[in-house]
Amino acid sequence: MNPSSTLLLHPLTWVTWLVVAITAITLTRNPFYLLTLLLLLALVAEVERPLGQMRPLDPILFAAFTMAIGGVFNLLTVHYGDTVIFHLPANWPLLGGPLTMEALVFGMTNGLVIGALIAAFGAFGAAMPVGALLRLVPRAFYPLAVVVAIAVTYVPLTLRHARQIREAQQLRGLQFRTWRDSLPLLLPLLIGGLERALQLAEALAARGFAADQVPKRLRLLLVAGLACLFAGLLLRIVWGYALLGAGIMVAGGLLAFMSLRAAGRRSRRSHYRHYTWGRNDALVLAGATLTFAALLLPWSGSGSLFYTPYPTLHVPAFEPLMALLLLGLLAPLLTRSGVR
Amino acid sequence: MITIEQLTYRYPDHAAPCLDDVSLAITPGSFTLMMGPSGSGKSTLLRCLNGLVPHFSGGEIAGSVRVLGEDALSAGPRVMSRHVGMVFQSPEAQFVLDRVEDEIAFALEHVGLPRSEMRLRVEEVLDLLDLAPLRDRELRTLSGGERQRVAIAAALALRPTILALDEPTSQLDPQSAEDVLQALVRLNSDLGLTVVLVEHRVERVLPFVDQVVVLDAAGHVRSGPPRTILPDVSLCPPVVEVARAYGWSPLPLSVKEARRFALGITPTPKPAVSAAPPQRGEPYLRITDLEAGYETKMILNNLSLNLWPGEIVVLMGRNGVGKSTLLRCIVGLLHPRRGNIWINGQNNKGRSVAAISRELACLPQEPDSLLFADSVAEELRVTLRNHGQPEREQVHELLSQLGLDQVATRYPRDLSVGQRQRVALGAITVTQPGGLLLDEPTRGLDYAAKAGLASLLRQWRNQGAAILLVTHDVEFSATVADRVLVLGRGGLVADGSPQSVLANSPLFAPQVARIFPGSGWLTVEDAVAWKG
Amino acid sequence: MYDRLLSAATIMLTTIIGVVAFLYPFWLPSVVASSSGIAHANDAPLLLTLIVGLSFIALLLEAQRAAEHALLIALLGVLVAMNAILRLINIALPLPGGFSPIFVLIILTGYLFGGNFGFLMGAMTLIVSALITGGVGAWLPYQMLTAGWVGLSAALCRGPVRLLGGAGSRGELLVLLLFGAFWGFGYGAIMNLWFWPFASGPLDQHYQAGIGLADTLRRYAAFYLATSLAWDLAAAIGNALLLAAFGAPILRVLRRFERRFAFVIRSRAISDCRL
Repeated sequence: MNPSSTLLLHPLTWVTWLVVAITAITLTRNPFYLLTLLLLLALVAEVERPLGQMRPLDPILFAAFTMAIGGVFNLLTVHYGDTVIFHLPANWPLLGGPLTMEALVFGMTNGLVIGALIAAFGAFGAAMPVGALLRLVPRAFYPLAVVVAIAVTYVPLTLRHARQIREAQQLRGLQFRTWRDSLPLLLPLLIGGLERALQLAEALAARGFAADQVPKRLRLLLVAGLACLFAGLLLRIVWGYALLGAGIMVAGGLLAFMSLRAAGRRSRRSHYRHYTWGRNDALVLAGATLTFAALLLPWSGSGSLFYTPYPTLHVPAFEPLMALLLLGLLAPLLTRSGVR
Repeated sequence: MITIEQLTYRYPDHAAPCLDDVSLAITPGSFTLMMGPSGSGKSTLLRCLNGLVPHFSGGEIAGSVRVLGEDALSAGPRVMSRHVGMVFQSPEAQFVLDRVEDEIAFALEHVGLPRSEMRLRVEEVLDLLDLAPLRDRELRTLSGGERQRVAIAAALALRPTILALDEPTSQLDPQSAEDVLQALVRLNSDLGLTVVLVEHRVERVLPFVDQVVVLDAAGHVRSGPPRTILPDVSLCPPVVEVARAYGWSPLPLSVKEARRFALGITPTPKPAVSAAPPQRGEPYLRITDLEAGYETKMILNNLSLNLWPGEIVVLMGRNGVGKSTLLRCIVGLLHPRRGNIWINGQNNKGRSVAAISRELACLPQEPDSLLFADSVAEELRVTLRNHGQPEREQVHELLSQLGLDQVATRYPRDLSVGQRQRVALGAITVTQPGGLLLDEPTRGLDYAAKAGLASLLRQWRNQGAAILLVTHDVEFSATVADRVLVLGRGGLVADGSPQSVLANSPLFAPQVARIFPGSGWLTVEDAVAWKG
Repeated sequence: MYDRLLSAATIMLTTIIGVVAFLYPFWLPSVVASSSGIAHANDAPLLLTLIVGLSFIALLLEAQRAAEHALLIALLGVLVAMNAILRLINIALPLPGGFSPIFVLIILTGYLFGGNFGFLMGAMTLIVSALITGGVGAWLPYQMLTAGWVGLSAALCRGPVRLLGGAGSRGELLVLLLFGAFWGFGYGAIMNLWFWPFASGPLDQHYQAGIGLADTLRRYAAFYLATSLAWDLAAAIGNALLLAAFGAPILRVLRRFERRFAFVIRSRAISDCRL
């Protein structure tokens, strides 16, 4: 059997899906569409969550929370708009003045954006196992990927040792009265961890592991690229040399990209696990492309993405076809039919 | 294949050399065993084979180590990993990834092997070590023995010609240790893999060993075939000790070989000793009708047990039968579902772990999890402070009793395994409890440390302590036990003198009892005493 | 020498970019208001995010040099696992405000093993705890970068410590304690500023009609007072308390072990140890 993964989709398919979802959330301020997105993302997160893994955060509850906070904050601090609900005494600092419906709606919309973003990452996190995520780390950062892999492996082990130590310290009469009593737990855990690190390092070295140094030349290139990007940005925005700035930014971006690529090339590692592209990926990518096109191509429904409640509150436009096309992000559910 | 010439090595910040003028040759396809007391430099010598010493340890080195024509000392571990696979002591601290298959492939990924070749090699080693059924498992769900086999597989994936192992079984129970050692013997005899093994538990492998390397505390070595080297080595497995006492030659290396010599001897059975010291008065620990378990799983039911002052009782039984559960119940870490536990006449119910452990101390399986203070003496004072007791002369008395007065100001974690265990013992007994529980106390100890522990326990027993010992170590049980209990499914299945329980048991009989069946002898001392 | 210059340049540049980028809600509106930049100001937030992202990558690559040896990789992995667990406990227990135990190890390792190590310790702690809880979010890169800065800057404590009595002294603890308190506020403030533009949406809708720079500042102040001050105060006090209680013993342990692997960090030439 091919050592492929239990993933139904290629990791890059999920990354594409995530990019499209974030694009959708950041492009629209229309509450109808945002609500549609929130619900569909919460659904994907729920379905993709591995059996038995606890749900970290209910995305819909969280969105309700951010909406409430955002709404109240904006209502109290922005005194603009025609539909006045209430007047606070004008001499109150910051809060004083008219409280408007428009400000409330604007704030709640922003809260909804944040809630939807969280839901999108929640779904992505639920769908991607750690190993697959690590595969996405560029090769130039191989040592860091190993650090993360070790840490993820050692978390359950460390938890077990913490339990062991707690019991051992109880056996010598330790009673947990204040938070300071955690020192006899913390120190053996730290010492044990350091000792294990020494052993693990020997085991790593004995298996031929050694991280390569990134040559100075490449580091210099990267810093130069970054400096160009920054200078270009300042030229373009602050001093108004739009074209020159853009040119320098492109050059800097290329420099940085090439240096990272060259740094990655130096590492010659290969991969045991193999992710293949399949029909499911085509399905999800097609769905995401549909949504992406609907968002970015100019058509009669494009205008409905934009919405601002100011100056006078009005019901946002709703284009059923746009909402339907957003549902292209639900494609991962289709690949799940028959699995659960 | 491996030639070591005039190797001298000194650790940084140490005055005396750890290895002194070591010369040694190891032939291809041989099985080499390195022995010696703790701290004699066995592990250091092993680490010279792939350049971990000095690349990882620093220090000063002279002489040469040539492995397959490569100069290991200058080539370093990265280059040497192609020739020498290495497996370490801890079954947990040598893994990078969390799944068996990924872990085996890790080193291959790192050298950039093409995927097709990688798949072949992974399949190969999975089969070699019987790991195929476990390939998708998470490492933390495996037993210690299975994990060590994964570590061997991961080392072999790079197809080294030499496999070096540093006490791979010292953290394992006997059954797992047996599995690992058997795998080694098979790899050596079937594949011709050169094996270099540092090990305390030599009984199992001795018959297959071609060369023994013995190191002493001064860093000198002697090497040669086992039958010529072992007669002069001070601490050996019981077979060898008995054979030396009886002058058998050529030296038998296994029980089977020894039996041939023993056939000519008709030992007078040792008179059965009645269940040792007087069991009178109130037992120090009394357990009645104990029922205990975890959420859905019942482990112990209807267990009753008494422990009197002045006796050492050994509790044995297979893995998972509930020995640790019983200990956890006694000290109050786990609440029984039914039944009562009395310690020194007081019922356990409603008492805190701290209160219980003041009267019945318990040494956990990992003594290291107790130690965190800056000095050995401070370690004892921490316990006194925990219990709100004043510091008395007694800290120093206890330290000298434990043989730790020389190291009272040292950092506990810098000491040897045996010393660390004694520090832990000090830390739990400084409150002067009347009883003591020990969970697998011989794990990781060499022969000398075991002998030291046995005499310490006997001394405390003679002072009137009630001692309950949970262990898999048959030889150790045979030396210290006054009474042996065997825990079976649910409850006790045997309770009696060591002779009645151990001598004729197919499972628990120590080596001496197997050499002289029917004699009632259990220990080397029994056999030597008869010889006179 | 060249090596150190390169490091210093990378750290300086990325820090400047970070400061400029995270203060942009304050300076950008005034640029927009002046005529010169107005045409291209709309894409500024996106470009800035991009540049900050690249700065982060450059810093990671720079700091990664602390992980060039197997020993340091193993050490980082194990310490990060510990710290990630502390963060889990922090998430699970309703501790007061922004109180988080993760900064103790980040600060102490940065101080003892160098800025690069501290940077990785901070950044990796956050990514690992995000991975094990499945909580990878939009703010993760910002959190990583900011926590990384905490560790990176911890190396700056060495100077004042030397002046105040050196290793093991009360002065050392005092410096670290103040440093921890400072970052209790700092981390909160920086995270707020990263969060701020997200909370406000795209630029054209963000600077709501009728709201100028002064108003933005005032609103930020209100936002900070309302949502963060108590929170950050708890974080600062928490950091100081934890460092006061656990700092000295943890440092003692780390120093003991540092001796064991100092060889690896200091020298690489094996010919040095031939007798």
